[in-house]
Amino acid sequence: MTGIKLAFNYLRIGIMNEFQYRANLYIQILQTFIALGTGLIGLNLVFAQTSQLGGWGKADLLAVMGVFTMTGGFIRAAIQPNMERLMEEIREGTLDYALTKPADSQLLVSVREFRLWQLVDVLTGAIVVIIALVQLNWLMDIWSVLGFFSALVMGGLMVYCFWLIITSTAFWFVRVHEIANLFEGLYAAGRWPVDIYPNWLRYGLTFLVPVAFAVTVPASAITGRLTFETWLGALALTVTLFIIARTIWLIGVKNYSGASA
Amino acid sequence: MTSVISISNLAKHYQVPEREAGLAAAAKGLFKRTYKTVKAVDGISFEIQPGEVVGFLGPNGAGKTTTLKMLSGLLHPTEGELSVLGYQPAKRNHDYLRRITLVMGNRNQLSWDLPALDSFDLQRAIYGIPMDEFKRTRDEFIELLDLKDLVQKPVRNLSLGERMKMEIVGALLHKPKILFLDEPTLGLDVTMQKRIRSFIAEYNKRYDATVLLTSHYMADVEALCKRVIVIHHGQLLFDGNLSSLKEKFSAFKTISFDIDNPTQDFSQFGDVIAMDGLHVTLRVPKEKTSAVTTQLLSQLAVDDLTVESTPIEDVIESVFSVKKEAME
Repeated sequence: MTGIKLAFNYLRIGIMNEFQYRANLYIQILQTFIALGTGLIGLNLVFAQTSQLGGWGKADLLAVMGVFTMTGGFIRAAIQPNMERLMEEIREGTLDYALTKPADSQLLVSVREFRLWQLVDVLTGAIVVIIALVQLNWLMDIWSVLGFFSALVMGGLMVYCFWLIITSTAFWFVRVHEIANLFEGLYAAGRWPVDIYPNWLRYGLTFLVPVAFAVTVPASAITGRLTFETWLGALALTVTLFIIARTIWLIGVKNYSGASA
Repeated sequence: MTSVISISNLAKHYQVPEREAGLAAAAKGLFKRTYKTVKAVDGISFEIQPGEVVGFLGPNGAGKTTTLKMLSGLLHPTEGELSVLGYQPAKRNHDYLRRITLVMGNRNQLSWDLPALDSFDLQRAIYGIPMDEFKRTRDEFIELLDLKDLVQKPVRNLSLGERMKMEIVGALLHKPKILFLDEPTLGLDVTMQKRIRSFIAEYNKRYDATVLLTSHYMADVEALCKRVIVIHHGQLLFDGNLSSLKEKFSAFKTISFDIDNPTQDFSQFGDVIAMDGLHVTLRVPKEKTSAVTTQLLSQLAVDDLTVESTPIEDVIESVFSVKKEAME
């Protein structure tokens, strides 16, 4: 309960902070539309050649792109900025203040930053998903909706855990920015459903960098492809990744010595 | 009275990778690293009673910050016992963290782009301070530090001193019983230093808080601390009253006077520290002070002669230069 209250307070501060930089909103809108525009052009180019891609039709892939945009926006709004700040603080030894607070340290370092304007992507992505659903003549089905939202939450959590694991290695390796940059490159692969990739890449994107679970699985849910087994698998992986991330974090904090003043 | 801080044989050793300069050595380090043990803190012991304000002194790298970090639970001691308010800091028990605060003069925790008031709100949420109590404390501190017109400005628009005052308010809103202050007046001008000093003194009095303070400004220490603990190379050199520290280590006094003939040589009387036109400053061993004064006054035509104790900075410096063996 206190955790939620704390996260809410940080969210409030983050939003107030963002209101100071209105120009960022306009830049973000521009970025979103450029990204979406190039994505749509790519999609059209592919479907000028074929009508199916690994069992996904054009409208299905539009839904994938919508989820990709939504999830990407959420990652850049709430996960990435916190992890980047954390990396910086571990490197410079300024994590001290966070660790002397009477609150769970992992929670604290995970909720301190929030980039409101990235939510433009979340909103735009949601609109794209709705357009895709209209094209698919989608009929409201409670299981698809529940599957979709639970898959989104689990996907978000998995990406968070992935980032936290990578960031926590900064306790030992100090410079991990490069590894973090790698994520962005790999995440871009999530623009397409992971089924279309060769096996090795598909497994990599599923279990190493959980892009599949962040994008393909929610999109599968809303387009009626998700099986209960996959959903259970996602749940199991979420729990496992969370336990791993938590453990590494706790060991890292114990190991942290802070750059001396 | 039972002590609030109790440290015995506390040590913190770091393993630091070590290599020669140059590319070849750097490449070798990829495969095999050699480590050196740095003894940042090497077996210190002391006790601090409730309500005491203790100055924690030592040159850069003496182990002050490391000790403060162990006390605030950031570092695990390599050896020794450490107990604060009955807690083991390294366990970072939330009840413990609620009773302490750590202020570092060179680091800030307030949100840069927002007015301090908003950051204070965040502190309230973190420490779970009840709203009415929070408002009372906040307004009391704002009043004491004269910050009324500044709390609504974004922190980035404040001067260094104003920002530090805000930092201190933010760090004390939960009314901690123990304050670890690491260079709280670093880089501030004299007026601002004074202001912060008197606030710390006032806080100590009002809330009977215990303060452990490091500072490079001896004025801070003289104004706030009756007791000082001096460490050097991670070891304890002195623990006692500031006045007895002066007594013990100020082996010299300074004598200054005016003369009418600048060509005279004064080195026979003592070390000439400064000779500024017709004004001369000499440093003489304490026990020779009266003899030298008498000589100067009887043999030479000197005016405005004054005798002063060595400034505390110099005293501290001479403490550091004394070998530990000589202390025992």
